[in-house]
Amino acid sequence: MNTSRTQSVIFWTIVTLSILTLSAPTLVVLGASFTSGNIIDFPPDGFSLKWYGEILGEQDLREAFGRSLIVACICVLVSLPTGTLAGIALAKYRVRAGSAIQTYLLLPFTIPLIGSGIGLMLFFGQAGVLGNLWPIGIATAVINLPFMIWAVSSSAASLDPDLELAALSCGAGPVQTFFNVTLPAVTPGVITGSLLMFILSLNEFLVSLLLVDARIVTLPVQIYNSIRSIITPDLAAVSVVFIAVATIAIIALDKLVGLEIFLKSK
Amino acid sequence: MRKYRTSYPISWRIMDVLEAAFASIWPKGGGKYTPYLMLAPAILLVGALVVGLLYIGDSSLRVLDRSTFLFSDHWTIENYKRAFSESFTLTVIWRSLLGAFIVTFFTLLLAFPYAYVMVRTSSSFLRKFLLIALFLPFFIGQVVRAYGWLIILGSQGIVNDALGLVGVEPIRLLFNYPAVLFGLIQYMLPFGVLMLAPAMTAIPEEVEAASGSLGANWIKTLWYVIIPMAKPGIIGAGLVVLTLSLTDFAMPAILGGGSQDFIANAIYDQFFRTSDQGFGSALTIILIGIGSMMVGLIFMVFGAGTLALGSEKK
Repeated sequence: MNTSRTQSVIFWTIVTLSILTLSAPTLVVLGASFTSGNIIDFPPDGFSLKWYGEILGEQDLREAFGRSLIVACICVLVSLPTGTLAGIALAKYRVRAGSAIQTYLLLPFTIPLIGSGIGLMLFFGQAGVLGNLWPIGIATAVINLPFMIWAVSSSAASLDPDLELAALSCGAGPVQTFFNVTLPAVTPGVITGSLLMFILSLNEFLVSLLLVDARIVTLPVQIYNSIRSIITPDLAAVSVVFIAVATIAIIALDKLVGLEIFLKSK
Repeated sequence: MRKYRTSYPISWRIMDVLEAAFASIWPKGGGKYTPYLMLAPAILLVGALVVGLLYIGDSSLRVLDRSTFLFSDHWTIENYKRAFSESFTLTVIWRSLLGAFIVTFFTLLLAFPYAYVMVRTSSSFLRKFLLIALFLPFFIGQVVRAYGWLIILGSQGIVNDALGLVGVEPIRLLFNYPAVLFGLIQYMLPFGVLMLAPAMTAIPEEVEAASGSLGANWIKTLWYVIIPMAKPGIIGAGLVVLTLSLTDFAMPAILGGGSQDFIANAIYDQFFRTSDQGFGSALTIILIGIGSMMVGLIFMVFGAGTLALGSEKK
């Protein structure tokens, strides 16, 4: 290609700068978690795993992590069937008032997160169910639902409708056609969407903060509350849990559907 | 009998039962309702949010009586009047709006070359590396990333420790406006790039070659060919970044240390510190209003860009 040298230099400078800013917090948290000192210091005081031993003994952190996992699982359980059906419906059928329904289903994205969070807090508060974990799971499913629908509908759009007609003409009923033809075709979308939902729900901070009480804090809220008092290396060690989960999710996403799927144009 | 079994496996029988069950609950000719039935769960789920918004709208019209701590029975627009007359709320709104525009500008400035290099590079290894560098922070969450910046920029943080080694007095890098904006830019960068990249993929490489062979230098190619062709992606990315940073809570709270509150922080304080649900709700409605107005304005001027669910081809 006849890409100009100046352009390469300028673009690469910006990209390098971006990569540094993107990875700096992750690397620093990783580094800080291995310190042997009692405070986070630079240069580090030496290498040790003692803060990892420390967090294993801290019951609040362990329990908060367990609660975050439950919330994320509920979120996937709710959003997977809901979003898959909606995504297929939007991509495959000509729906009357389709654009109105789309606008409606995009509400979780167009309403600011603080607004959705407060709204759901009032909704669950009126229903008298605040103080449980499942409303948080449902709330994270609601606010991220468009991701799931988008992931499924973009892979359903590439499904040839003739395949389903072929299945029907070979004698398959509608149920069999759905499970053997439609669903396998949208599987990449379902996997991408579910992984996104799981991670976003696990990390969800603001909506958690609004819906929890002191007995059921989730891990991001627990970290936030501790940051405000004092910065100790045990928080860095807990944060590494998030880094580890994120790494696993990226590897899974890459192996199952390939990260390049996000570069595809519609 | 045996032959029948092998030729008709158990999974087929299960399927037969399912088909029969489906046919019995599904009226003949009900096909036209299928898409609506498939959409129903999603519509119900989002319904929780809509009902919540109605509650917000209702409480925004009720004033808190400070002596009894009860809300008024009748509706009044007192909360809104108060929001637009208090200098505190106006400052917070102005700070959030200005911040959102600055963050959007710089995020797009950084995201454009990133998306371009990622899409255009011929090395699949480099592309994978750039994607991972993007997804890792995106998947780690805002609180942990803000915590990382606290370690780097804090008064006993890495930067100040390093400066101390060469004898420079500690500098206050945190709890100011630039720190919040910086935190927001690096938080928004993955959103920006991921919204831009598909639009960039859609631009054939040949048009750049064509533009170059017609004598345009790279700045002209960028300005007259690539940017106009990437416009839907730029609008989509800009809108997402603009609205997300306008309404952000965690970065102002953690990197601003309470002195740089955005609208979301003011709303949170009204609900959880002052317990004035009415005024907090009014602020929420105002925030939703500002957000929708900005989105509407940009849609009107530039079109919807890449922000559309489902397929437009039908």
